[in-house]
Amino acid sequence: MFRAKFKEAVICFSNPRVTLPYPFGPGAELPEGFRGKITVDQTRCIACGGCANVCPSRLIRFYDEGERTRMEFILDRCTYCGRCAEVCPEQAITMTLEFENSTDHKEDLYIEQELYMATCARCGRCFETENAIDKIPVRRHREGRNFVGPSMPHGGPRPRQRE
Amino acid sequence: MHSTGYCQAVEKAGGIEVPRRARYIRTIVLELERIQSHLLWLGIAAHIIGFDTVLMQAWRIREPVMWLCEKITGNRKLYGINVVGGVRRDIPKAMHPELMEVLGRIERETKAVLDAVVTDTTLLARLANVGILPNKDASAYSLLGPTARGSGVAIDIRVDHPYAAYGEVETNVMVETSEDIWARTVVRIKETLDSIRIIRDCLAMMPGGPLQAKITEPIPPGRIGQSSVEAPRGETHHYVITGEDNRPYRWKARAPTFQNLQGVPIMVLGETIADVPIALGSIDPCFSCTERLETVDVRSGEVKVYTKADLFRLCKERWSKR
Repeated sequence: MFRAKFKEAVICFSNPRVTLPYPFGPGAELPEGFRGKITVDQTRCIACGGCANVCPSRLIRFYDEGERTRMEFILDRCTYCGRCAEVCPEQAITMTLEFENSTDHKEDLYIEQELYMATCARCGRCFETENAIDKIPVRRHREGRNFVGPSMPHGGPRPRQRE
Repeated sequence: MHSTGYCQAVEKAGGIEVPRRARYIRTIVLELERIQSHLLWLGIAAHIIGFDTVLMQAWRIREPVMWLCEKITGNRKLYGINVVGGVRRDIPKAMHPELMEVLGRIERETKAVLDAVVTDTTLLARLANVGILPNKDASAYSLLGPTARGSGVAIDIRVDHPYAAYGEVETNVMVETSEDIWARTVVRIKETLDSIRIIRDCLAMMPGGPLQAKITEPIPPGRIGQSSVEAPRGETHHYVITGEDNRPYRWKARAPTFQNLQGVPIMVLGETIADVPIALGSIDPCFSCTERLETVDVRSGEVKVYTKADLFRLCKERWSKR
């Protein structure tokens, strides 16, 4: 019995401390492919809806509101599977290394964005608009020279709503 | 574990052939999960009996496995490596040396801890000849996994109904016949060491090829798929009926804890109160895997069974108060 205790003591003493003083110091290094909080790059999004189709917890929602497509990302339901980032054809959704996402305000984990869709309401095809602003050569979607850009100044989280 | 079960069920329903390399990667991830789960259990079991040295050491040994999983799949837990038709991420050749190094370290350290504790009389006094689960009861109650194998019932889905790459890689069923908690502990430690060997074999035999099967057509509705996976705790069964739009119509998962809990009353029969926690802990219970709860009011003797719907309602009430 004493031999067993001695061996256990040797194991304990021969191994240095492995824990990190995490919240006060740096934590463990994250590997390259870590799946953290998702980010959405509005300028690249073409509102194809692929991410909403594969999301297992249905946190990505698309609302087709005529010429605008409104997208909601309700990140408090995210399981960090990263499927949306994988299927995105334009790499608009990417997984960051951010994992400290806990908050006591659900609004912090909510992203809403609107995309202006220059699409013909009758035939569903995109068309060239006469508006000069719409002709700014940024990333296009579908065929034709239609403009996809943010109609909101920023698509980040809503400002906090505290009482 | 469950994602493999679900994906296999859907693949069976849709008649999808998974590439060989994907099956090997699935096996490696399943075995890594088994290693970390068994080491976690070893720590918890030691903690239940108040032997925290083993808790600290087992969890220290376990941590590199978690980092490895994080590197391979992108997360410590909830790997999300599986997708219907294959796997999402590859284990490239460049990662093999690191994997081997970590496996070697875990094997060495697990053996060192094992070597120290097998002769520890304080540990044996708490585990040996405690929580006896006779062989005939283990079969009669259809107990699963290490709980049954500790009582001499040689069942293991990996060998009985091979899936993933288990048909090609040698897999051993670890059986102990002493029927007590110590037997279940030994089964788990032996399985941990066997898992390390399986991963090494898989890495050595890893074939090339694609990671995902090309699925060009939607899976037709109304098909039925069933698959069984050997989780660290026992058998996990998944049953799927496919529906419209490539979505499941019905899906039922059965986790092993509900089955294994039936054995606990036999284990604690005639034992002292102090042995009840470790007897319950010896099945590696996961109470979120069970779906109903019975409470007994000791004063009035009233028995109430909470169903899944009741628990769901209570949770909602609890959270809406905040």
